[in-house]
Amino acid sequence: MKKIYEKAAHAVLFASSTVSIITVLLIILFLFREGLGLFGQKPIEDGQVLLVNKSNPVNKLTSDELKNIFDQEYTNWKTVGGSNDSILLFRIDDIFNYYTEEELAGVDTNMQLLNEKVSELVGKQTGMVAFIPEKQLVLNDKVKTIEVEPVTVSGFFGGELWFPTSQPAAQFGILPLLSGTLWVSLLAIFIALPFGLATAVYMAEIARPSVRNMLKPVVELLSGIPSVVYGFFGLIVIVPLVQQLFSLPVGETGLAGSIVLAIMALPTIITVAEDSIRNTPRSMKEASLALGATHWQTIYRVIIPYASSGITAAVILGIGRAIGETMAVLMVTGNAAIIPHTILQPMRTIPATIAAELGEAAKGGMHYKALFALGCILFLITLLVNITVEFISGGKRIKR
Amino acid sequence: MKTKKISEFIAFNIFRLLSLIIVLVLVAILSFIVVRGASVINWEFLTAMPEEGMTKGGIFPAIVGTICLVGGSMLFAFPLGVLSGIYMNEYMRATWFKRFMKLMTNNLAGVPSIVFGLFGMSLFVNTLGFGDSILAGSLTLGLLSLPVIIRTTEEALKSIDNTYREGSYALGATKLQTIRRVVLPMAYPNIITGFILSVGRVSGETAPILFTVAAYFLPKLPSGIFDQVMALPYHLYVITTSGTDVEASRGMAYGTALVLIMMVLVLNITATIVRKKLNKKLKVN
Amino acid sequence: MKKTIILMAAFLIAAAGHIQAQKIKGSDTVLPLAQKEAEAFMKKNKGSRITVTGGGSGVGISALIENTTDIAMASRKMKLSEKMKVGESGKTSVETVIAYDALAVIVNPTNAVSQLTREQLEGIFTGKIKNWKEVGGENMPIVVYGRESSSGTYDFFKEHVLNNKNYAPSVMSMPATGAIVQSVSQTKGAIGYVGLAYVEKNVKAIKVSFDKGKKYVAPSVATAKDKSYPIVRPLFFYYVTGSAKMVKPFVDFILSAEGQRIVELEGFITLK
Repeated sequence: MKKIYEKAAHAVLFASSTVSIITVLLIILFLFREGLGLFGQKPIEDGQVLLVNKSNPVNKLTSDELKNIFDQEYTNWKTVGGSNDSILLFRIDDIFNYYTEEELAGVDTNMQLLNEKVSELVGKQTGMVAFIPEKQLVLNDKVKTIEVEPVTVSGFFGGELWFPTSQPAAQFGILPLLSGTLWVSLLAIFIALPFGLATAVYMAEIARPSVRNMLKPVVELLSGIPSVVYGFFGLIVIVPLVQQLFSLPVGETGLAGSIVLAIMALPTIITVAEDSIRNTPRSMKEASLALGATHWQTIYRVIIPYASSGITAAVILGIGRAIGETMAVLMVTGNAAIIPHTILQPMRTIPATIAAELGEAAKGGMHYKALFALGCILFLITLLVNITVEFISGGKRIKR
Repeated sequence: MKTKKISEFIAFNIFRLLSLIIVLVLVAILSFIVVRGASVINWEFLTAMPEEGMTKGGIFPAIVGTICLVGGSMLFAFPLGVLSGIYMNEYMRATWFKRFMKLMTNNLAGVPSIVFGLFGMSLFVNTLGFGDSILAGSLTLGLLSLPVIIRTTEEALKSIDNTYREGSYALGATKLQTIRRVVLPMAYPNIITGFILSVGRVSGETAPILFTVAAYFLPKLPSGIFDQVMALPYHLYVITTSGTDVEASRGMAYGTALVLIMMVLVLNITATIVRKKLNKKLKVN
Repeated sequence: MKKTIILMAAFLIAAAGHIQAQKIKGSDTVLPLAQKEAEAFMKKNKGSRITVTGGGSGVGISALIENTTDIAMASRKMKLSEKMKVGESGKTSVETVIAYDALAVIVNPTNAVSQLTREQLEGIFTGKIKNWKEVGGENMPIVVYGRESSSGTYDFFKEHVLNNKNYAPSVMSMPATGAIVQSVSQTKGAIGYVGLAYVEKNVKAIKVSFDKGKKYVAPSVATAKDKSYPIVRPLFFYYVTGSAKMVKPFVDFILSAEGQRIVELEGFITLK
């Protein structure tokens, strides 16, 4: 009887841990399966093609060139390696500029006619590039389609433009997002570090137990406040403050985000650092004091060096926390997808991008996959953070 | 000798000052919200439906929604997390696989909540077809707290000295008996504290529910697990950023923020009290 | 723990007696209107439930495609690709115009500039014009606010004012229209675009000209109705034919005189 009971309990425990393990693996699998699907795809909206005149020597365009063409930045085919001919843009709605309703009679009921007309038109205009649905494409011998270069890993990480919904060709360059994320979170740590370390040392070494008992809940509460509340506070208090303080044209900047993130990362830094300071062996402290060192000398000559690995871990975990923060950042940094030159510019971070854009991205589409790829990057950053912490602490228990 | 003392004096006071600033920051945030939110909060605010485009009425559906989500996620994550934690700490042999799993659970505990939202949306909402629903939202939030609960449980179990287990075995108890009668009662306070703190975290999360459950406006309470709900953190987010009249709904925003903070405050205090009480009880026994 | 179990059990029981509910999702521009309409509709029809969620026109339409909403609100027409996706799942979408909205270009009230041509707007939003002095204002940098790309307003403004060109990457994208109003009201050099209903005293709506500066028109309900204001767009409800029976009463309510009165009250433009 006992045996059966024992076995059953073991089975239940085993089953639940299997479920946990499977979910953990499933999350990783899911993220990367969707995210990696981005690469090698053509950044042109599903079911759409680009049509040009057969005499046009251009066969292939990058998404960057396409964007410039459709933004009318490039107006001559020479710029993209073609012949000297001005570029004429055509979108399906432009059809009425060339044909009258009568000529297109029954457009709605019989799309066929429309398509023939489009091909006819492109066949006549040598410089025209038409962006039309593939389904209704009717090829004749005077037109051809243009290839768009697929998204590459280097284009993804090195691209400077993030226009995921731009038509005809979306731009998936995450450099602005990546640099925005790093600027905001690294500055946040720089701001938080002196406060965090000082508080950790103060709580562990200097403060009386009664003061420490008062500080501990303060730190816990700081970590407990929901991130939207921080965002709300940041939007209403910190953003205008930053604007006035630096007399900027705009308050929604990386700096405002950094300040909010600094407050949010503080509890992590304080808890981990204090813990490692506390773990300094008593004997070492006493030896130092016995040699005539003051308490302060003991702290910065003995305790801090001893706890340095724990403190480093605290900083790295703090960075990890800051990089992943979503809502607060979304509300205060202004979200412009540019590569920042100073911290006083608006920035767009990776988590904020996912939160702002995921809803619109149709399931399975390029944009959707690109956002998953961003999720993978966040996951890998967290992994890197954790492995580094593991490595630094060398098996010592880090309380998080 | 004197300069030593002076430098110590300066250093300590700088530390004291910096710590004080942190306290002041918290006080600033809290008082900012409490002062402006307190006048908004009354019985009606807590129990009425929102009206007039979120500028009047209350936030009752958001409160109920958050309770549903917290309940649902804990119903799923707490038992699973604790049982897995027990298995991983007490039964699993120390192999590369265990180390890998530990790294992964640790990592998952640190993964940004928006990534959970990403996963939750693609698996629960789309692939499994739950749609935007309490079910999808709860599972997503549950997944978010699962690694945290597993880790808290493991930590709580690990902190129990092996001599207790050995003593129990020596008295002829089986492994299960040892876990149930000796190990778990001792780990109990820390596990419960972990649970309460997870509840606090789950109730304040916005990013994971954005695409899995949250609704902007819901006139009635949810009637089943496939309904959408409003939730406090999301509600705060939308009323600060949407609406035709942002200024008019500011009051509601302060009130909502205050309710959210009060919730976290109460949970934190409860966690501390529970931990103290249970630990004391344990020592008396 | 016990309490949560009881609570959950209560929900499961309640789920058995499920009432017919409809979900509405999409455009943030339509959101406040839909919410008010839903409030009024439910006051009249006690048994009905309407859930309203924002997120942007794109969000609503992709939810309609994925069958997670019954009605998609949109402040732009469905894109061809979206229509094709609806078609792929074997459904047909029904489009109903529920109201019109004038898109106002807003600046900070302290800004001296009070009128701009379409070409100037294009220059500002594509990043060619960077300082207010280039368009007759004082010497200060232009801070451009826009919506997230999920917004129908983003697309509509791009198509009709920017001549289909892409926004400059330096345009700050705000998660919702309310946030644009908030930011423009506290930023001196700011410019942004919002629905007419969102214009309030803390921001200034400027006159625009679409005929190269011959005639400037200020946005208002009247100018939108007589079509002299150029940036007016229809607001749509989309649903699939399969759910017509469920959503029709609500759609009809909005189109009714009573519903249109709410449209007017909210600062949108009625159908007639």
